[in-house]
Amino acid sequence: MAGGRRAGQGVTAVDGAGRATLGTTIWSRCHRAARDEGLAAAIDVLCSELLPGLVPCGPAGHSVLPAGVALGGRVWLDGVTFGAAAGRMRLLAAFDLPGGPLEAVRWTGPAADPAAGPNDYVRAEWVLGLVWLRLGWSEGLRGHCLRYLRGRRTGDSTLLQQQLVKGSLADVTAEQLEIRAMLLGCEADRLTPQFADELHDRITVADRAQLRLLGASSMLLGGPGEEAYVSELIADAWRSG
Amino acid sequence: MIVLDEKLTVLRAQMREWGADFRSAALELDGDPEAIRRHFDLPAARFLATMGIPLEYGNEPERIGGHRFDGSTALQRVVVMEELACADAGMLVASPGPLLAGVVVSLCADEAQKKWFYRRMLERPLWTCFALTEPDRGSDASAVETSLTPAADGEGAILNGAKRYVGNAARAQIAVVFARSGCGPMGLTAVMLETPADGFQAEPLGMLGLRGARIGAITLEDVRIAEKGFLGRHLPPIRRGLWAFVQTFNLLRPGVAAIAVGIARAAHDYVLANRLALSPAEADRIDALGRRIEGTRELVHLAAAAVDADTGNGHLASAAKLRAAALAEEVTLAACQFFGPGARADHPLLDKWVRDARAMEFLEGTSNMQRLNVFQSLQTRKLSSDNPFPVLA
Repeated sequence: MAGGRRAGQGVTAVDGAGRATLGTTIWSRCHRAARDEGLAAAIDVLCSELLPGLVPCGPAGHSVLPAGVALGGRVWLDGVTFGAAAGRMRLLAAFDLPGGPLEAVRWTGPAADPAAGPNDYVRAEWVLGLVWLRLGWSEGLRGHCLRYLRGRRTGDSTLLQQQLVKGSLADVTAEQLEIRAMLLGCEADRLTPQFADELHDRITVADRAQLRLLGASSMLLGGPGEEAYVSELIADAWRSG
Repeated sequence: MIVLDEKLTVLRAQMREWGADFRSAALELDGDPEAIRRHFDLPAARFLATMGIPLEYGNEPERIGGHRFDGSTALQRVVVMEELACADAGMLVASPGPLLAGVVVSLCADEAQKKWFYRRMLERPLWTCFALTEPDRGSDASAVETSLTPAADGEGAILNGAKRYVGNAARAQIAVVFARSGCGPMGLTAVMLETPADGFQAEPLGMLGLRGARIGAITLEDVRIAEKGFLGRHLPPIRRGLWAFVQTFNLLRPGVAAIAVGIARAAHDYVLANRLALSPAEADRIDALGRRIEGTRELVHLAAAAVDADTGNGHLASAAKLRAAALAEEVTLAACQFFGPGARADHPLLDKWVRDARAMEFLEGTSNMQRLNVFQSLQTRKLSSDNPFPVLA
């Protein structure tokens, strides 16, 4: 999985076993897809790389997936699988987003044989991938904020040039950098459930801070405000407790 | 996970061991900042006395794991500073040595100035100070009012003005002072002088925390500066003044961030060592604080490596310092909450770290200044979202 050397003078990003990690990784592709194309494209990357042909769902059966994917294969419910015919899916909501349509669903199924599904490590990889995904989307939101604020005028200047705005963006950037530093070289088995929850919470706080810079436009359906909401639903579906 | 190479890991282990002496003297120094004079012989103090003097100038620091560390890279300095600050930040900043002034010298001094400065520093432990901040102007380098004017008799120049919040001001034997010799960003000049000097007066200020730094105020009245004291005299004007100031702060900032991480770690470790029966919720909380510390430390290491690769690459250092200053305040306050009412009275080290942590907010630029730097990197696209840590590319 994650691979490529990342060595500087005196510091290196390594995995949990001390191996230098690779530069072009599933995570960086997922991160870039979320940032540049949106949540749907990034979920596609994760699904195709980690759980091809499966419908990934969180511990209580919840999931957020590109439209149509929720009925597209065997269901993978937090590490165990069953055929779609053996369970029942409920569509909770549909989102028509700039990055592509997404659906929030909930699957319920039979008591499954734990040995039948992908192993715990794959599950941990999926959880790690979701953190990278949400961070990438959060960084994309930062780009949107910069463009939006550059185009909004107040007095003789733009909103982007207001010091409070600069400060908010700087705080968010520093937080995103710190999360990125922690994720670099972080192998899935090192990401405890509590740690994953914390990172998701920190990304949510960073996103909310950015949304506040967008004013009322952050509440429009079909825009970044709604996509941020869906990003939160992703974290919610996979929360550890 | 960001890991240090073998050499730096050895350095960290040695600093951790040497730091035990600093911890023993922490409260003594907090009560009497001059107590440092009784501790010059501690191994860590001896190391700091020459940290920043390149080996090629005759520095022969004690070998650590077979290596000699001269502290000439930001990454070495952050490793040293985190460990010694975790032991005691007061002892770290009280110890004589080149520190901030040494970074200016390394960047701006000509060969003769370097030889003079390093030789003096190697003769015996000397305090140095770095005088930029002014009473009415803060640390805005572009607004420095202290003047450097040519002497009427043609012998060097005359320094007039006032500085404030300068670490070790009253006991420094060598001072680097920023002054204005002309208009605009190229009119900023750094000069080096020995003290005592006619017209140079310094006195410590009463401070709430980080008392070891002996932060003070300086008045400069017709202080004569010989031409040999003009730092950067061999450089084109664009490489002196504001440029030198910015590069210096870029190099120093990861070190301050590392001190903040060290203070946070001290408080975190203190809870783990002294609150043995933690409830599950408390255990979760202290674990979460530990992960916060680790995350900020990784950013500090990446920021230090970035300025080592390019001294103009300071935006990561600003982000790291911004995060670390907040971390130090958050963790030291949180640590007190693990010990119930009266924690600060009953645990004087915790109370000291709470006070010390507050200094992290303004040292090397306030958090708001760091925010402006980080924002600037966004606006100019210096910060790459594809590769925010170029040193790992």
